[in-house]
Amino acid sequence: MTTTAERRPALAGRTAKRRRPRTEALWGYAFIAPTGLGLTIFYLWPVLQTAYFSFTEWGAFGGHTWTGLDNYARLLGDPEVGQAMLNTLMYTVLGLAGIPLAIVFAALLNRPGLRGVSVYRTAFFLPVVTMPVAVAMLWRWLYNGDYGLVNQMLATVGVDGPNWIADPATAMYALVVVGIWSSVGYNLIIFLAGMQAIPKELYEAAAMDGAGRVRQFFRITLPMLSPTAFFISIVSVIGSLQLFDLVFVMTGSGQSARANPAYSRLQTVVQLFYERAFVTDDRGYAAAIVIALLVLIAALTIAQFRLQRRWVHYV
Amino acid sequence: MSERRPIGVHAVLVASSLAMVAPFAWQVITSLKTLSGATAVPPSPLPEWRWDNYAKVFELLPFGDQFLNTVLMAAGRVAGQVLFCSMAAYAFARLRFPGKNVLFGVFLSVLMVPPQLFVIPQYQIMSSLGWLNSLQAIIVPGLFSAFGVFLLRQFFLGLPREIEEAARLDGAGPVRVYWSIMLPLARPGLVALSVLVLLWAWNDLFWPLVVNTDPDKMTLSAGLAALQGQYQTDYPVLMAGSLIASLPVIAVFVFLQRQFIQGIAHTGSKG
Amino acid sequence: MWKSVRSGAAVLCAALLASACGGGEQSGTGARPQEKVQLSYGVWDATQQAVMQELAAEFTRTHPNIAVDVQLTPWADYWTKLKAAVSGGAAPDVFWMNGPNFQLYASNGVIRPIEEQVDTSVYPKALVDLYTFDGKLYGLPKDMDTVGVWYNKTLFDAAKVKYPADDWTWADFKQAAARLTDAGKGVHAVGAQLTSFQEYQYNTIYQAGGYVISPDGRKSGYDDPRTIEGLKFWTDLIAAKQSPDLKTMTDTAPIQLFEAGKLAMYWGGSWDVAEFTKNDYTKDKVDVAPLPKGEKQATIIHGVANVMSAKTEHPAQAWEFVKFLGSKQAADILGKKGPIPAYNGTQADWVAAHPELRLQTFLDSVAYAVPYPVSKNTAAWQEAELTHLTKAWTGEVPVDKAAAGLAAAMNDLLAKE
Repeated sequence: MTTTAERRPALAGRTAKRRRPRTEALWGYAFIAPTGLGLTIFYLWPVLQTAYFSFTEWGAFGGHTWTGLDNYARLLGDPEVGQAMLNTLMYTVLGLAGIPLAIVFAALLNRPGLRGVSVYRTAFFLPVVTMPVAVAMLWRWLYNGDYGLVNQMLATVGVDGPNWIADPATAMYALVVVGIWSSVGYNLIIFLAGMQAIPKELYEAAAMDGAGRVRQFFRITLPMLSPTAFFISIVSVIGSLQLFDLVFVMTGSGQSARANPAYSRLQTVVQLFYERAFVTDDRGYAAAIVIALLVLIAALTIAQFRLQRRWVHYV
Repeated sequence: MSERRPIGVHAVLVASSLAMVAPFAWQVITSLKTLSGATAVPPSPLPEWRWDNYAKVFELLPFGDQFLNTVLMAAGRVAGQVLFCSMAAYAFARLRFPGKNVLFGVFLSVLMVPPQLFVIPQYQIMSSLGWLNSLQAIIVPGLFSAFGVFLLRQFFLGLPREIEEAARLDGAGPVRVYWSIMLPLARPGLVALSVLVLLWAWNDLFWPLVVNTDPDKMTLSAGLAALQGQYQTDYPVLMAGSLIASLPVIAVFVFLQRQFIQGIAHTGSKG
Repeated sequence: MWKSVRSGAAVLCAALLASACGGGEQSGTGARPQEKVQLSYGVWDATQQAVMQELAAEFTRTHPNIAVDVQLTPWADYWTKLKAAVSGGAAPDVFWMNGPNFQLYASNGVIRPIEEQVDTSVYPKALVDLYTFDGKLYGLPKDMDTVGVWYNKTLFDAAKVKYPADDWTWADFKQAAARLTDAGKGVHAVGAQLTSFQEYQYNTIYQAGGYVISPDGRKSGYDDPRTIEGLKFWTDLIAAKQSPDLKTMTDTAPIQLFEAGKLAMYWGGSWDVAEFTKNDYTKDKVDVAPLPKGEKQATIIHGVANVMSAKTEHPAQAWEFVKFLGSKQAADILGKKGPIPAYNGTQADWVAAHPELRLQTFLDSVAYAVPYPVSKNTAAWQEAELTHLTKAWTGEVPVDKAAAGLAAAMNDLLAKE
């Protein structure tokens, strides 16, 4: 059960007779070539360029002068960058709560013979097709300090609720709830698919041993789902660290978002990057910000790959 | 299997389904309001039955063209990613070749880059290819995805090896193993990837808007975004349009969910 | 660096590129007037799309060899897309420009100065100045807007306050504000909005005798005591609870509060006519008055101009089109359907469209209007305005201290321009 992915292929290769490794390697390169080429042209090359421009002062419409490490030196002394990094990490940590939630819902929605299950599944899918403007409108109404539903409900028990998304003390938590809400649908699609890859015999055997649903969940579903969960956790952490749309939609687009008293607690690194790159035309600095973020994302992703041996089970 | 009646399960699911459906319901209600009603303070939860908002959508947008563009863009991206990503994913999961881990790391690094970074460079690439304002401009960059490769690699890693090994012993080469064994086994993963790519393509607003200019070369979501004025936006019409646009995706999901749930990819594979 | 991408991409997609180049060569020789030419025209306002298309069609009627393709990009994405387009060498031939962005485009040479001598006396001087950089005119004003006080007559009647007179002053305004506020009904006199300096802070700053940026564009005016007076005008209203606090206005925009009968007055641009005449609540309850007079009388004037891309392949035709858009004929068409045309003497239709409102107010105020303050990188210090003044609006920091911080930050930014 605890064998790692890295050791198994080698074993498998040996048993399936000593096959021309060179041919296999060639096939390997051929299989990754189309995506590799596409990613290089459309994605990797722009990143390399941006890395280069992070050492320059980069004009609004092109043209640049080499400034060495200036942008990075400025970055280290910029309190706004520090705060945005901190906010982004907070979003990421809090947002992780969405993963167990999605697993539990996926398990519930995957119960064979549950009545109305396809209706539930469709309901959980709807957030991903709901127009962001509508999502923002409803949540902003719920969170409204004066007439929002949340505060109306709190008022019935005698609590005077805050202006949830304009109060520095609550704004981030209010947004995290919306973020988790809107990601559950995506994660469910992946978890439900992952559950299909679990052989039914395992459940049948466990049932014969007298394990109930809850024990089956912990003894079979969770470990067998761990490769999928690992994927979701990598992708969610990356997604949270790149957070942009949610804050944009919830606080209003453009510079006017800064008039929100809670803005400094909400601003993410990618927002800061966007503002520097496209609004205030500080593009060399924007490049440095995004490269710094990339380093952070890469570090956290590598750390997760290292840790996967402790909890991810490949068949 | 059948224990107590799962009332608790239903209670949890009903309550959370309501929370999931609420903004969608809000969109439906708003799409049936007047503009004044939609922006009223405090908002009313009741529709005003303005069905003409739906008619207006068709007046304001070249709906047929944009729908077709959206379908073509989504179909192209789904087909491309399912094929290319599954190929690369299979190689990363099962084949041995020097530099595999490093290359996989390079692929993954693409996933780590915030998409906002690509706007101007990709625009410049499209411009130098002479692809501005074309269908290929909105399809081609979406054919390649680090996300898809990673997702399917995880799926392949989770698949049992026995069938594959048997086929190899029978002399099947990597192509046969990939095509006739791995792809069918990974069907739930491929379906999940297709649904996700379809969704993202369907909702992708910014890139089509930036790279294309003609209304009849736009996708639906980009066309809808263009309905927003500088000072005034007709939210009910916008939401009606978005609702119409989302119906095909909902239909696809309802149809395909059987594939996630009942696509018994490999029962008996362990037997 | 981009050269190498281009050549790399060319190798990859040689066939496609070849066909694209073929097309490019044909249009490259577009100097002869009899040849058919297609111009692209970039605009950002969906509500004006129809009238822009009408103008384009009218132009093609008199210039049969020039077709115009109106390209609408929503406001939220317009400038990002334009930046990408300019960087990719594919900006529209003619496009809308606004004040805050103008000098950035002009100073980088991505828009084309007007070479022909034109009679600019037909436009408000403030707008001509706005689109002049280094002594050269770059765009012809298309429309204009000024700011007025929209007021809710029902709430004025209920509070037994006289409607604002044309010559009312800050003192009159403050007096009215005190009486219009009704905490019991949740009614405030006005919303001291922080997200639209054009409609709020800039006006009171100039009314107080202050300034935002020095005429040479090098120095911030935010450390001037009169400028600070203009800011205090608003923070005092919040402190006196005659305006909702910033958190409330973040949750619900002042315009929504005004349309819900929760604000008696709303400082708003002439463009709000469309909104207030359509809204079910405001359509028979509001009218408009000039801004109250402080030390001076002032309102901010701004307007959109049509400019040409420096890289247009058809400079002669593009200029013909810009000239047409700046003509009386075009202004007459615009005035019937759109915002206030900039061409002097063509605004009667715009005023007559809503006889129930005193729309003439917006035109009369042009006499004392102040141009929208801009520099080469306006966006940079506009961001600083919000960052620093938010703290004054919440009351965390006294106004003069916040303004001093803003002035220092803005001076730094201006020094970098």
